[in-house]
Amino acid sequence: MSLNSFIPVAAARRFALPLLLTTALIAPQLASSAAAAPVTIENCGRTLTFEHPPERVVSVGQSSTEILYLLGLADKVAGTAVWLGPVLKGYEAINAKVPRLADNDPSFESVVSRKPQLVTTQFEWQIGPKGVVGTPQQFADLGIPVYTSPADCQGKDNAGAGDGLRTAAFDMGLIYREIDDMARIFDVKDRGDKLIAELKAREEAARKKIAGYGGKVSAVFWFSSSQMKADPYVAGRRGAPAYIMATLGIRNVIETDEEWPTIGWETIARANPTVIVAGKMDRRRYPADDITAKLAFLKSDPVTSLMPAVKADRIVELDAQAMNPTIRTIDGIEALAEAVDKARLSE
Amino acid sequence: MTPALILRRAGAGALALALLILAVAAGAALGETAIPLSTVAATVAQKLWGAATSVDAIDAGIVWNYRIARALMAAACGMALAVSGAVLQSLLRNPLADPYLLGISAGASTGAVSVAVLGLGGGALSLTSGALAGALLAFALVAFLAWRAGRGAASVILAGIAGSQLFNALTSFVVAKAATADQARGILFWLLGNLSGTRWPDVTVAVPAALIGTAVCVAHARALDAFAFGTDSAASLGVPVRRVQVTLVLAAAAMTAVMVGFVGSIGFVGLVVPHVARMFVGVRHGALLPASAVAGAVFMIAADVLSRVVVQGQVLPIGVMTALVGAPIFAVILVHRRIDR
Repeated sequence: MSLNSFIPVAAARRFALPLLLTTALIAPQLASSAAAAPVTIENCGRTLTFEHPPERVVSVGQSSTEILYLLGLADKVAGTAVWLGPVLKGYEAINAKVPRLADNDPSFESVVSRKPQLVTTQFEWQIGPKGVVGTPQQFADLGIPVYTSPADCQGKDNAGAGDGLRTAAFDMGLIYREIDDMARIFDVKDRGDKLIAELKAREEAARKKIAGYGGKVSAVFWFSSSQMKADPYVAGRRGAPAYIMATLGIRNVIETDEEWPTIGWETIARANPTVIVAGKMDRRRYPADDITAKLAFLKSDPVTSLMPAVKADRIVELDAQAMNPTIRTIDGIEALAEAVDKARLSE
Repeated sequence: MTPALILRRAGAGALALALLILAVAAGAALGETAIPLSTVAATVAQKLWGAATSVDAIDAGIVWNYRIARALMAAACGMALAVSGAVLQSLLRNPLADPYLLGISAGASTGAVSVAVLGLGGGALSLTSGALAGALLAFALVAFLAWRAGRGAASVILAGIAGSQLFNALTSFVVAKAATADQARGILFWLLGNLSGTRWPDVTVAVPAALIGTAVCVAHARALDAFAFGTDSAASLGVPVRRVQVTLVLAAAAMTAVMVGFVGSIGFVGLVVPHVARMFVGVRHGALLPASAVAGAVFMIAADVLSRVVVQGQVLPIGVMTALVGAPIFAVILVHRRIDR
């Protein structure tokens, strides 16, 4: 007597669906390990198809580069550009071996001379319809596909001059999407899933840490200022800081839609944020880029020195990279949660 | 002087003073956030006469250290630009002359951009001092060119155009070579004028600079009147032509350079305000220069107040405001003058 005859019909039906799902999950892995099926990615209005995982990639943009490193793909990176600060901790030695084409904008020829099979760009400002390095079409003409960070094309209008206007709020989902796309293109889906799961877990842990403070804390994110005492660039409602604050249940005292509007200290002082988050960066274009200059200003200006957040020293120093839509936005979530928790702001 | 004339002058002076005080009061009362008039009045009473009040320290700080300092900076700037414009229009006998004709704005931009983008001075130089240095350098070049090109108003104008073009090209070169979008935006904001960084220490330099520069120009009012009929006529009237020309151009250049260093280049004030003033008080410089000074100050404060309140939650560059208001006024004057004649 076979085993089958003992199983009632209803039970057989109950087993059928999970069995099917399992097959569906296993099937693509089998297929990819055989390196047969081409990978197709929808990216920023373009469809990219890869017969094989690329062997050489040039990444224009620090966050794009760091995502590749995190996925263990450093040996495939044939060149990098647009560096805003030091590479992610722990990747210094790996990064030192990778040719850096330019600290800032690389030239079109320096990118293509690396013979990349893929170019990734963090910002359309560099590679996009009006990119200073080139347009995706220029690269396509040479048979090089361009992958654009979804964080810079979804919910963002880059038609005007400059660094674009965010039309919808930034969401970490866009960064997870980029990680997933890269993992699929390079056929390392398991590493991608693991990385995304880790980042999500960190996000959730930080959120839980200060979950009890709901709605009681407000903040302002100060990136820099064009002149030391002039109206500062602060975070509006749609950038990465807004996502950080929304995740943690912290209210942004700035209510404009622009990503980095200039708002007067008058408005900020009267809005009385519980916490001031000040950007720390290696860039030295404006005197206010320097975190010590920022702190000195806050403590010496006739008005800001009177703000309760300054008097009680509730100033959080945060790496400016965490204030931009990157994988490091998670660092920002953790750092701010830590600071709020430490200051015991619930009391 | 007849009693009637004294009375008229006193009346004009009182009117000018009242307008200025009214403008500064508006600058103190209006801003990005709403502060009640009573708080504004109490703050001023406390700071000026030591009156005991219970206003919030932050509100008081905003009114006194931000808004009033800013209004006085705007006044100094408007005064300096308008007086410089009036002097240059007469001296060069060109109704289109304005202080930036001397290459000062272009030079200041180059100086500021070099500091901001190239990191010239290694952080020791501020944007203000970089701009001032650039302005003086550009003016020196224009002055040298004009001097080598020979006498006459046309050579100054042509030298100014050449110098401005050169320095504008240098600015574009620096920006295109090194700046990212973020920087370019910050620099653009500064180029269009920005009063938001004004604090009292700046005011204590800018206001005396504007007053001294204006006084020097007013002291040469009669000589300027004589220039209306050309340098030869002026010389025949006993005016030391060369000395007066050099003194006045230097006064205008120095005043403008200081202002551009503090707040960036703000267009239209130096061009338009003297024409408006001429409509009201005529062409005699004894009246025209003081009238330009007051009108420039009031116009600039008004433009600054508008720039803060016209778009909710956002501050427009003041240069945008002066051009938006100034250009239509200029158009009206043009049309009216034609009808009058």
